[in-house]
Amino acid sequence: MFGELLGPQYLKWLFDGFLLTLTLSVAVCLIATGLGFLVCLARLGSSRLASWPARTYLSLLRNTPLLVQLFFWYFGVSALLPEGLVSWLNQPHELNLAGLDISWPSFEFIAGFWGLTLYTSAFIAEEFRAGVASVRPQQREAGMAMGMRPAQVWLYIVLPQALRTALGPLLGQYMNALKNSSLTMAIGLAELSYASRQVETETFKTFQSFGFATLLYTLSIALIEAAGQWIRQTRRYRQGAA
Amino acid sequence: MDFSVIRDNLDYFLIGAYPNGPLGGAALTLVLSVLSGIAAAVLGLVLGIALSTLKGWPRGILIAVLGFLRAIPVLMLIFWSYFLLPILFHVDIPALFTVVCALSLIGGAYLAYSVHAGIQSLPDGQWAAARALGMRPVQVMRLIILPQALPIMLPSFLNQWISLIKDTSLAYVIGVGELSFVATQVSNRVMVHPTEIFLFVALVYFVFCSSLDLLANFATGKQQVKRGG
Repeated sequence: MFGELLGPQYLKWLFDGFLLTLTLSVAVCLIATGLGFLVCLARLGSSRLASWPARTYLSLLRNTPLLVQLFFWYFGVSALLPEGLVSWLNQPHELNLAGLDISWPSFEFIAGFWGLTLYTSAFIAEEFRAGVASVRPQQREAGMAMGMRPAQVWLYIVLPQALRTALGPLLGQYMNALKNSSLTMAIGLAELSYASRQVETETFKTFQSFGFATLLYTLSIALIEAAGQWIRQTRRYRQGAA
Repeated sequence: MDFSVIRDNLDYFLIGAYPNGPLGGAALTLVLSVLSGIAAAVLGLVLGIALSTLKGWPRGILIAVLGFLRAIPVLMLIFWSYFLLPILFHVDIPALFTVVCALSLIGGAYLAYSVHAGIQSLPDGQWAAARALGMRPVQVMRLIILPQALPIMLPSFLNQWISLIKDTSLAYVIGVGELSFVATQVSNRVMVHPTEIFLFVALVYFVFCSSLDLLANFATGKQQVKRGG
């Protein structure tokens, strides 16, 4: 049942998968944080023109499964897009970012990235909103009384406190994004779960392949947790808490 | 947009091949989520009480197990139970059962912390008073602590249930014929209108989840009124 270890070529499959999982998760977390912040601002906005679309966005994305959303973007929307665009997306292009040559991502990667980013942004927006709601209204009033402009009150008073409260839940959402990236295997992206399944069918070494993938997932989650602990210990974070 | 593909396959989307075959589609999604919801609630309650009462190394082991369950993707756990359960019990276990097993383990691990938080939220005086009246610890938990703590936990149970409904879609990867699986089946068979099919499926999930979401908000609101908050 336990038997020997995996051959080097299978380990390479798993590591390649892990690398893809990490790339996808980091890209998703970065973009989803920015997008989530914008959605949170729109949701909190006093104008109904902004807050109602944001409410709809949040409720639609949070109340449907990620898997169905990925299928929708991958199968559903690619059928709607003009044929020229789809074939353009499928062809490799030169991509040059800050002097680095990046290989053009596959269509699976683009669809997975898009779906996962939107899904994660909805959850991050709600964490931000909870953080902002935790700042007492008196704080804002005090800022206004000191003659600050509304933008300054936001930047210097509300945001620093809201971000501190939101840090824990935000890291939790990053962990969820990493775990949820496993669902992109359903649209054929060769990330860690896909690779472990592939190694398993190839070698019949169920324990080794799933065990290795599980270990990598657990390690990355533990790293995020450790990063959170580290941030909480920095002087900047503690200073604000006083 | 042409929704005739939905109308033609509506029965298949909602109940699968039933009554001529196994139950499937949206009905199976509901069955899966009810079964795993109940199992997760029981498991979460037991583990949460254990988390609040155990001390020393048993508590350490429990925290490690819960941390592990919360750290791995649901998909990985479904793979594990799909391959491990038949080896452990030496019998053929239906895929449906392995999904319920994986989902209730994950749900239970998350709920354990909600239950723990609910129990911790009660003032220590409640324990002390009940002990002073001569109650045994089991009685204190059953008669004093839980009746007060359970209503506090209700919203998190409902929220966990929403996650479970969404997670039942993962049963797709091991070929359980629930709503997502049926949708890809129909989509692959007709080869046209994938947009309409997945929009419709998303809508069905949306109806399930947002009605529970409303219920959870209602429960939270009612509690705040009751506590004068």
